[in-house]
Amino acid sequence: MEHTRRDFLTTGASGLGVAWLATRMPLFEATARLAHDSRASGAFTVLTPEEAAELEAVAETIIPAVDDLPGAKDAGVIHFIDRAFETFQAGGLGAAREGLAGLQERVEARFPGAGPFSRLSGPRRAEVLREVENGGFFGTMRFLTVAGMFSMPSYGGNEGKLGWKLLGFEDRFAWQPPFGYYDAQVNRG
Amino acid sequence: MASRRALVKRALGIQRTGAAPPTRFAERQEVDFVIVGCGTAGGILAKQLSTRGFSVVVLEQGPYLRAADFGHDELSTFVTDTPLTGSPQDFPQTFRTTEDEEPRPGGGFAGGVFYARMVGGSSAHFTGNMWRFRPIDFHERSLFGAVPGANLADWPVTYEELEPYYTQAEWEMGISGAPGPNDPPRSRGYPMPPLPIKSSGVLLERGARAAGFTSQPAPMAILSRAYRDRPPCQHCGFCLAFPCEYNAKSSTLVAMVPLAEATGRCEIRPHSTVFRVELDDAGRAKQVVYYDAEGVEHAQAARAVILSANGAETSRLLLMSESSRFPDGLANSSGYVGKHLMFNAISACHALFDEPLNEFKSVQVTRIVMDFYDSDPARGFYGGGGIDARWLHFPIMFGLGGLPSDAPSWGPEYARMLSEYFNRTMDINGHCTSLPLERNNITLDPTVKDKWGLPAIRTTYLDHPDDMAMKTFLQDRGMEILEGAGARRAWRDPVVPETLGAHLLGTARMGKDPATSVVDEHHRTHDVPNLFLCDGSSFVTSGRGQPTLTIMALAFRAGEHIAGFAERGEI
Repeated sequence: MEHTRRDFLTTGASGLGVAWLATRMPLFEATARLAHDSRASGAFTVLTPEEAAELEAVAETIIPAVDDLPGAKDAGVIHFIDRAFETFQAGGLGAAREGLAGLQERVEARFPGAGPFSRLSGPRRAEVLREVENGGFFGTMRFLTVAGMFSMPSYGGNEGKLGWKLLGFEDRFAWQPPFGYYDAQVNRG
Repeated sequence: MASRRALVKRALGIQRTGAAPPTRFAERQEVDFVIVGCGTAGGILAKQLSTRGFSVVVLEQGPYLRAADFGHDELSTFVTDTPLTGSPQDFPQTFRTTEDEEPRPGGGFAGGVFYARMVGGSSAHFTGNMWRFRPIDFHERSLFGAVPGANLADWPVTYEELEPYYTQAEWEMGISGAPGPNDPPRSRGYPMPPLPIKSSGVLLERGARAAGFTSQPAPMAILSRAYRDRPPCQHCGFCLAFPCEYNAKSSTLVAMVPLAEATGRCEIRPHSTVFRVELDDAGRAKQVVYYDAEGVEHAQAARAVILSANGAETSRLLLMSESSRFPDGLANSSGYVGKHLMFNAISACHALFDEPLNEFKSVQVTRIVMDFYDSDPARGFYGGGGIDARWLHFPIMFGLGGLPSDAPSWGPEYARMLSEYFNRTMDINGHCTSLPLERNNITLDPTVKDKWGLPAIRTTYLDHPDDMAMKTFLQDRGMEILEGAGARRAWRDPVVPETLGAHLLGTARMGKDPATSVVDEHHRTHDVPNLFLCDGSSFVTSGRGQPTLTIMALAFRAGEHIAGFAERGEI
């Protein structure tokens, strides 16, 4: 849990909100534990390890780690994707498998013997993905990568809240002014 | 002042004032009023009528949730479960722009109508904008004249008649704000000061000044200080589409329903989906028929029936209640039921600034510009509107579509831009008039059914050219504001016709002439003396983009009049 109970009580929330947050702490903590447990096993539910490795490479090409920023792999987005294909995206698993097979054929055609996709260098991966970026497989993978990067960690992705760190979003849910540079400037007079 | 412990318990929704058990009426017991829909209007009417001594049952299709049930789950709220707005599987809709077009699947963000199914209705999940209408809104047909292709009409009530009820709504619901330079006359100030300004508000003020416009604090249905045993806003940032976990948003769920229940004369019955209003032989409403959570059919008899189910659902229910007496739908002798649907039109622009704004914190809107409210014939088209600085993006939404359209949507530069833009971007919305058009309407889909086997809502909607022109006009002003504020870069969303409406207005308009309106100036249907309709459907014109406070004012006023009719034996 990134924000401790003490953080919650001292980050400026006033009066009733603080008392109310205190009553909610057990819930926040339970949610965080649940999220941690679900990834600790490392196993996938619907994806094979090979499929997971390939789809993770696709996700990492969509949101790569650049500069010192976290990427989709750092944030464990593949675990979100696995769970999505088990639940709300279950109807799309077959199409995703077909899409992945099609992608590997393109890898083989463009870089014979260099595949599968996950073994390619970053620029080569991007080159192959650019060929399919207007297709359904890529659209699904982009949506799932973004959703897995920025949804609550309890869904399996956004591990360590790294997706939110990429954005600069903080899940404190209780703030006091100043909120940003420009209102701080005005309030200082 | 209640003790802190009591306040916290109230915030958690676990306290029942006076410890009285909730009122339950027996299955076949006739009550004075049955209200269909416990939303913005229904919650207020329940409180108004029960505190006047009447017995009331409110049938709400959604659940009865409390603060402890609410959180910040963007994925579930918008994508996977959409628990409050209805899943497209259970509650399919269809959408088409005109009747010549083949309807396509709607629901969710695919098009059609968007509202919360819960006690509190959309007042629980909305952004909280609380604009009053102005005097001109009520007689614009006389002021502006006819608009080709539209059915513009005057209201049968004036701003002056409604003003006391705007004030009542602001004080009873709990609205934060401060009078601004372009406000309509008001009899009383706001009950509490505006919420703290955000960086987007500061930049809107700066840009407006540079462009020669005036800005003012946004009136919001969100508490800036503790009020009537509810805590102030904690600035979590999740107002739009999220009911408030602190009870700081002034929904009917927290501001009205507890008062209604405390009378001991009002039962809120959740998971109750009304599908028919039945008449007796004399043509008076006798009872409403509904399904409970398990799909078991029940009936609730009442001396009078009030539909407050929103502009889409009220229309659907009337159309589903056709009979030999009303073959085109109940109370539809005018043929106006479902017609003249108005969504309010919206345009958006965005800008990147050098320093962090951190717009993800606190309420969506803190400053507005109301200089373009009135219709101006010099513009060459009908319309008016307001501009607000706001934040439209939660994290997933930002990742999917928060960057400029010429930005990459994946890859290293995409990742860098996400990191740079998220906290340095702000949004501006232009909100404006939608003309009432007969072709824009709610009808019953002839083939698609919902999970109860009831006909799905079919929405037909295409903006009038003047609506499109007004959207573009406000976007141009928004761009001037962003440039005047010193944006590093500013960009526009394409101005496109509305396909998804959260403001569901005009589908059973009020008027004095039974040939051209569905309800009279007191919300009584012209056709059935003990059937009243009160929600966004009563609107004659759309206002400028934020209808909720006017729905509330109408409901307070309707409650007053309907209670008077009942006391005098005039129903």
